[in-house]
Amino acid sequence: MVIDTRVCVGCSACVYACKSENGIPEGYCRDWVVQETKGIFPKLTMENRSERCQHCDNAPCVTYCPTRASHYAEDGTVQINRSRCTGCKACMAACPYDARYVHPEGFVDKCSLCQHRTEKGMKTACVSICPTGSLNLVDFNDPKQEAQQLMNGKLVYRQKEHAGTEPSLYWISASNKPGA
Amino acid sequence: MMATAVSELISTKINPNVLPHLHIWEWHIPLYLFLGGLAGGLLVITSIMIVMKRQFSIGPQDVGNGCPCLALRIGSVLSPTLLGIGMLFLFLDLAHPLYVWAFYTTIQPTSPMSAGSWILIAFFPLAILQAMLVNRGQLRKIKIKPISKVIDWTEKHMTIVALTNAHIGVGIGIYTGILLSFFSARPLWSSSILGMLFLVSGISSAAALMLLFAPKKEKPVYSMIDANALWIELMTVGLFVLGGLTGSANSHGAMMHLITGDTNLLGISYMFWFWGIFVIAGLFVPLIVEFLEAAGVHIKFPNLAPVMVLCGGLILRFLIVFAGQSYHTFM
Repeated sequence: MVIDTRVCVGCSACVYACKSENGIPEGYCRDWVVQETKGIFPKLTMENRSERCQHCDNAPCVTYCPTRASHYAEDGTVQINRSRCTGCKACMAACPYDARYVHPEGFVDKCSLCQHRTEKGMKTACVSICPTGSLNLVDFNDPKQEAQQLMNGKLVYRQKEHAGTEPSLYWISASNKPGA
Repeated sequence: MMATAVSELISTKINPNVLPHLHIWEWHIPLYLFLGGLAGGLLVITSIMIVMKRQFSIGPQDVGNGCPCLALRIGSVLSPTLLGIGMLFLFLDLAHPLYVWAFYTTIQPTSPMSAGSWILIAFFPLAILQAMLVNRGQLRKIKIKPISKVIDWTEKHMTIVALTNAHIGVGIGIYTGILLSFFSARPLWSSSILGMLFLVSGISSAAALMLLFAPKKEKPVYSMIDANALWIELMTVGLFVLGGLTGSANSHGAMMHLITGDTNLLGISYMFWFWGIFVIAGLFVPLIVEFLEAAGVHIKFPNLAPVMVLCGGLILRFLIVFAGQSYHTFM
């Protein structure tokens, strides 16, 4: 996923679309919106961004899961097999992004990147609803190089890259905005 | 006047186990880690006692009638019993306990919890055999043929069973620390010395427990074991603290959160729990008392020091588990 924080207005439509699509219980969320303000007044910068599981290529949650409930799917995303999850919460302790929660029904849950939709060729609920086109579901192996086209010439970062998790979410920084 | 830099983060995340800080493991896990360490420590001490019986001269010398050493007999039975109770707490902590079978359908070499779940299973058969062996005097009176056969077999292989048990005991003790130290996302836990600290703490707690029910003539041996274990534990705690303080900003901050933190646990700050209750009351004072006791000095309340050690061991697990969660994730 490539997330363009330059155009994110923090409307939380992605959060509610996800809740509705995936039947997330009240008081929980698989994705959330963060508003970060930094700098020295009057030169302050603000970045809105929609955050979720980073679907890491070297995911600590998969490494530490004792039952193979957390696993890599064929499409490279990190998924949870609910029928093998004991709710031991090792994956939650292992995740440097705090992207997981214990579902009231007794398993650990997180963003699945709407696998039930993407396997039918549809976009994720959050991507479909995003009114500003901030969220982009891309295939990094796509020969058309859609991801590269989105990111070329811009300041792009990944979160906590130094944790060695190889996160699959790329963020186009709000500092790319004119005047930022 | 210089303007101050602003760094403000507003998030709509609402997940209750994660905010305001991670709190996935409550009292079950520290209690399990304590009982696991105690069981491992008991197995190490009792196994070494059996292997080195001549040197200690209190081991199971009266072959055929059972071990004359009361503390060794009780300790051998308590080891698997306490681990069983600890595993019950672990089971109760699972969000979906009925899926516990999933642990035993796979071996995940990169997951300490998977390795631990198999070590826990390996622990019981040999630990129970050892407990039967040292209590063979009583068990033979029951005259149940299969039990007698098992005892006979164990008796023939006593040294190898005890040696294997000593290693399993060390494995369990280290595992209780490694379970946490593999989580590099939690800066306080991410220390390789945590395994050693929990092992030594398990041995000191086990020696303290044996000291509590050992008859007077056996006490000096356990006082000496406990005093030595406490001394090593004190050094290991020092290395754990130093390692955190001299580490990265993440490790430094997490260690400061533990040793100078004002976060409350039962109305008392982490700082007071760590220095006042764990280090001074749970390690330093009993260390002095038990060295004196082992040297033959009369101690007015001989049970006080072992109880302080046991409380210290329990508090250490609570502090590490809680402080590790209440400090922010790896940044």
